[in-house]
Amino acid sequence: MRIEKCYFCSGPIYPGHGMMFVRNDCKIFRFCKSKCHKNFKKKRNPRKVRWTKAFRKSAGKELTVDNSLEFEKRRNVPVKYQRELWNKTVIAMKKVEEIKRKRQARFIMNRLKKGKQLEKEEDIIEVKKNIHLIRAPHAGKAKQLEDKMVQKLQEDVDMGEES
Amino acid sequence: MDLQSGTVVASFYFLSSYSVTPCDFIDLTLSKTQRKTPTVIHKHYQIHRIRHFYMRKVKYTQQNYHDRLTQILADFPKLDDIHPFYADLMNVLYDKDHYKLALGQINIAKNLIDNVAKDYVRLMKYGDSLYRCKQLKRAALGRMCTIIKRQKQSLEYLEQVRQHLSRLPSIDPNTRTLILCGYPNVGKSSFINKVTRADVEVQPYAFTTKSLFVGHMDYKYLRWQVVDTPGILDHPLEERNTIEMQAITALAHLRAAVLYIMDVSEQCGHSLEEQMELFKNIRPLFANKPLIIVANKCDVKRVEELSEENQKLFKDFEEEGISVIETSTLTEEGVMQVKTEACDKLLSYRVETKMKGKKVNDVLNRLHLAVPSKRDNKERPPFIPEGALLRRKAMEVDIPKRKLVKYWDLMNKNEKYDKIPEIWEGHNISDYIDPDIMKKLEELEKEEDLREKAGEYESDTESEDEEMQEIRELARKIRQKKKLKILESKEKDVHGPRMPRTVKKVEKKTLEKEMSSLGIDMEDKSNSHYADQARRSRSVTRKRKREASEAPASRTRSSSRPPRDVSGVRDAKMLKKVKQMMKNSQRDMNRMGKKGEADRHVFDLKPKHLLAGKRKSGTTDRR
Repeated sequence: MRIEKCYFCSGPIYPGHGMMFVRNDCKIFRFCKSKCHKNFKKKRNPRKVRWTKAFRKSAGKELTVDNSLEFEKRRNVPVKYQRELWNKTVIAMKKVEEIKRKRQARFIMNRLKKGKQLEKEEDIIEVKKNIHLIRAPHAGKAKQLEDKMVQKLQEDVDMGEES
Repeated sequence: MDLQSGTVVASFYFLSSYSVTPCDFIDLTLSKTQRKTPTVIHKHYQIHRIRHFYMRKVKYTQQNYHDRLTQILADFPKLDDIHPFYADLMNVLYDKDHYKLALGQINIAKNLIDNVAKDYVRLMKYGDSLYRCKQLKRAALGRMCTIIKRQKQSLEYLEQVRQHLSRLPSIDPNTRTLILCGYPNVGKSSFINKVTRADVEVQPYAFTTKSLFVGHMDYKYLRWQVVDTPGILDHPLEERNTIEMQAITALAHLRAAVLYIMDVSEQCGHSLEEQMELFKNIRPLFANKPLIIVANKCDVKRVEELSEENQKLFKDFEEEGISVIETSTLTEEGVMQVKTEACDKLLSYRVETKMKGKKVNDVLNRLHLAVPSKRDNKERPPFIPEGALLRRKAMEVDIPKRKLVKYWDLMNKNEKYDKIPEIWEGHNISDYIDPDIMKKLEELEKEEDLREKAGEYESDTESEDEEMQEIRELARKIRQKKKLKILESKEKDVHGPRMPRTVKKVEKKTLEKEMSSLGIDMEDKSNSHYADQARRSRSVTRKRKREASEAPASRTRSSSRPPRDVSGVRDAKMLKKVKQMMKNSQRDMNRMGKKGEADRHVFDLKPKHLLAGKRKSGTTDRR
């Protein structure tokens, strides 16, 4: 019992699901659902279909090179069964999975940071250009002037008093 | 259809595809002419068109007759082309001369019809009116039909021949055949009924069988034909009638084994001597054919019970080499014996003739049976190794898989019966199996610690200072205000050309409200410009009032006429209802923000809640 990977979308194919196509050159193509199968029959390149993992990895939208991804790979030489090895593997697998998830999330977050930067800059420009829509430029200016005048007079008076 | 002597004559089924009764013939052809050629013609048509019309009819009729007659001539077999057995049989049944004559007449009729048509078509070329052409056509068709009518007798005869011919039994002249012959009522038909699946009529009166019958049987994996003939009486050839002649023809032409059946008990009405006489007379016909004498009806009287002279006759036969077998079709005694002997004799005879012929040598030259000759006298039995025998024995017993587990070669023997997990959360455990996995895991964890210490995993939402937050807030407000303004300007009810802003009068209230919302202090009215405007408008109205005391030149609006929304309304209750109705009718429009009944403006052609999102599984037909 194995969980295979769909050729088109790289999703998991659980037992009892999907279709398998064997070509004349003995290459096997497994599909998780008819959507992938139909896309394949239309000769679409999964690296160009945006929702597939193949596209995302080739377009740099997801983590591709990482140590945590090296743990899970299909091995062609089977290892003889040893109980302790299997136990250790199960524990290690869980830890590796955790680390892998963290790193993948971090990668995507970093990618989205750039957007935040752009947002900030846009806000600044917006405010600079259109502040007059919510606040008149000389809104408190009259009062300010008055206050200033008053202050100045007060200072003059003080100065006069002193002298 | 091929009736050459070498091939099998199948039944004459083809002839049943059509019949040739004469009156039908004429009717058919004439009605066909009427249906298949154009029928409408007027005398004012151009003459060449009229001529062509009638010529077509004549030619069409001629063509039809010609085709039919040719088909008849082609389908009836030519007596020279078929197997002499069938030629002779047809001669016997239908008289060769009459047959040939009839076909000849048909041929002549065909030629006559062609000539008639040719002549009349030639004449038609000089027809100068519709009437003339029509008469010519009538004459032509009439003559053709008369010719056919004259052939009535021939056609009737041929029709009868055709019907009889289609019912002839299909006798293959070249295959293995047994012919039964003898006096009437001796038991030939009973014999064929016993030996084959044929169901020939058996009756006590003579000449029950009036024609040849065929039955088929199997012997030694081969198909045999058995031909039953009508009985033959003893008189010279010239005096024989049709029925007997059929039997004679069969005897003469078919290369077969002959079973001469005699009635020992003389129940057929003819004595043994008479039967012997007949035998001697027909003897020449049996030349080159294997012969068996069948002494039938032995259940009534056996050969031993006969008188001495008669027994001697039978003994003479045996001395000559002709086997005599006693049978009884009633008790079935000896029937099989006759069959086997006749078949064997015929087979050996046929093989002999083939061997004498030239064709056999070709076949024999190509055949060679190779038999390996022994090298020495050593015995060499087949060799089966012991291991194979043991294994076969072992395979016979089914070993369940669990038993095989004990042969597994693992590092620890006690781990053999463990249940191994295979899948976890969508991952295959076998993909992670690695002897060095713990080492790698340690390295990974170290790396992870380092990264954490470096601060990679800290969230960075704090990098916003107060100023930035304020700017963000302001930007949000600005965007909101913008949207509102856009919506407002869309809702404006603008009829007519776009006027500059200064034409429209701004109300004091809105101005004050807007400016105060922008933060400007509007309390101090001393410096305001708009107060003047208000005053100006008031003076205008006052001036107006002074002029109102004089009667206005034109009665644009008199106070005596009630306003439209209250005219026709009797009391307050009705007014209320009227107002309610007005509001009702406007309610839907107002709810949709429509300007009026005719406003079909769609504010949102592509609503986001219908069009947003990815095309996952689900329908997209409501968009």
